[in-house]
Amino acid sequence: MAFFWHIIIIGSITLLPVLGFNVVFGRGKILYFGQEVFSLAAAYAVWVLVARFEWPLLAAIAVAAALVIVLSLFFAELSLRLEPDGLGVLTIAMHLMALTIVLNWQSVTRGALGISKIPRLWFPASPAVFAAMAILIAVVWVFLLWRIDRGKVGRALAALAEHPWHASALGINRRTLHTFAFLLAAIGSLGSGILFPAYILFLTHVNYDFPVLIFFITCIVAGGPGRVFGVTAATLALVFLREGLRFFALPYDLIGPVRLILFGLILFIAVWYRRDNLFPTRREI
Amino acid sequence: MQLLLNGLIAGSLAALVAGGLALVYGVLGVFNLALGQIVLVGGYVTWWLYGVMGLPFVASIAGGIIAGGLVTWITFRLFVEPFYKRHRFLPIVTTIALSMILDGLILILFGESPKSIRLGGGIWHIAGARISVAQLGLILITILLLSVLAYTLHSTAIGRRIRAVVQHPHAVESFGVPAQRLHQLLFIMSGILASCGGIFLAIDQNLTPVLAFSITIKAYAAIIAGGKGNVWGAIVCAYAIALLEQGIVGIHWFNTFYVPAGFQGTVALAVIIIFLIIRPQGLFGSVARSA
Repeated sequence: MAFFWHIIIIGSITLLPVLGFNVVFGRGKILYFGQEVFSLAAAYAVWVLVARFEWPLLAAIAVAAALVIVLSLFFAELSLRLEPDGLGVLTIAMHLMALTIVLNWQSVTRGALGISKIPRLWFPASPAVFAAMAILIAVVWVFLLWRIDRGKVGRALAALAEHPWHASALGINRRTLHTFAFLLAAIGSLGSGILFPAYILFLTHVNYDFPVLIFFITCIVAGGPGRVFGVTAATLALVFLREGLRFFALPYDLIGPVRLILFGLILFIAVWYRRDNLFPTRREI
Repeated sequence: MQLLLNGLIAGSLAALVAGGLALVYGVLGVFNLALGQIVLVGGYVTWWLYGVMGLPFVASIAGGIIAGGLVTWITFRLFVEPFYKRHRFLPIVTTIALSMILDGLILILFGESPKSIRLGGGIWHIAGARISVAQLGLILITILLLSVLAYTLHSTAIGRRIRAVVQHPHAVESFGVPAQRLHQLLFIMSGILASCGGIFLAIDQNLTPVLAFSITIKAYAAIIAGGKGNVWGAIVCAYAIALLEQGIVGIHWFNTFYVPAGFQGTVALAVIIIFLIIRPQGLFGSVARSA
């Protein structure tokens, strides 16, 4: 039963950044790989302030929210100025920079040791209650993003991804849309940055490393880029697979590498399957 | 002087990797994000042949280069060729998948602990700075390899064909030049240069699996900052990034503080990002119109 609640909680928390990332990368086709920069910034801002400097949780969340909003405005500006592949590489560079800062600013982040004194949240007293709260937040998030995706903004993002010049001629404002998409991505990561360390009561850079970003990309590609329900189903299935691997009788030092190989293969197969619609090709009449 | 020499050593590794890649980007317009892992394959196989199997050093280097070339060929045939004509961004995602697979395999085969090849030889003193014979050799070999690349590109028939493929692939095919085969050749060449970088790394520093992504990102930062596809721009920027990294940590800023060594890569990448915000087309690139 404990594993069941664990899967529910991890799946619900993972949905928040994955679906936010899906708005930018999946629906907007913006080649950006900086989702974990938001998560790192949010998680460390909240829990460093709470656990190490004893700030009230709400004040820490406000600081983290301000930080991810500034970051999302910066990413939006970068997406407007740089060519797509340049943006892709530089957002990975920013992820690398964020990880380096976390690892080396030891007086604040405790580096590779991580922050272990995460206080337990006052509301969800048991795993079942925490799971109920995580499910509720995830359902609201899925519904909100589904509404946005089916509405004017979703259509405008798709049009902009498919043909920027035509979209611009139709009055679609690229700056506004990109900013909105990055803000949604940031909100998703803010949610997981608050909830995930509060669940495991520990904060470490390992949970925001490159394999996690690649896991997010796998969820989006496997679920169908831009499709809210498809990505939701893929995320839940892949979380189940990832967490379930612990029960295979593998030596401890093999679990990590086997997981890397397995998810690399899943991503490759998913891209192969979706090679015609992962990135937009111009439609012709 | 010591900072300059350190920058030259680190820059030689980066230039070796970025030079070949810039050529691939110029021709195919694709990024290979498993490049750092190919660097490591070259280094680890050389280490294994030399340190574990006891083969002569030259034979071990040949083995490392062949292994790197082979992995690059497989990368091209399986992870790039079936995708790049559908959309040039697809190989970015497929090579990310490959990077994970190679990371896993490297961890299983070689483990997490650092590996290095230690060569004998003395230390030279040049204007008060210290440099080992191996490091000097590595700098000279890099300059030699990049000169061969320049000569091949600008003074040979195959170089003219490569430049023609860059300018107009369809027109070149109509003249009977096998553009597809040239694409493959260039890709493998970039992998061989990357493997040489891995061997360089094994001799000069240590090989660990976590290095791969930062090698890839620094090489691509150099390519983007140099003006994408511009080989010489990428090489200049690779040296510039390395000098920046060494210079930033080696200087006592305003007589008040040092930048800790752990932050050197971060500061260099931040400078590149700021530079690209001001000049998105890079050092030698031209502006593209966008909607």
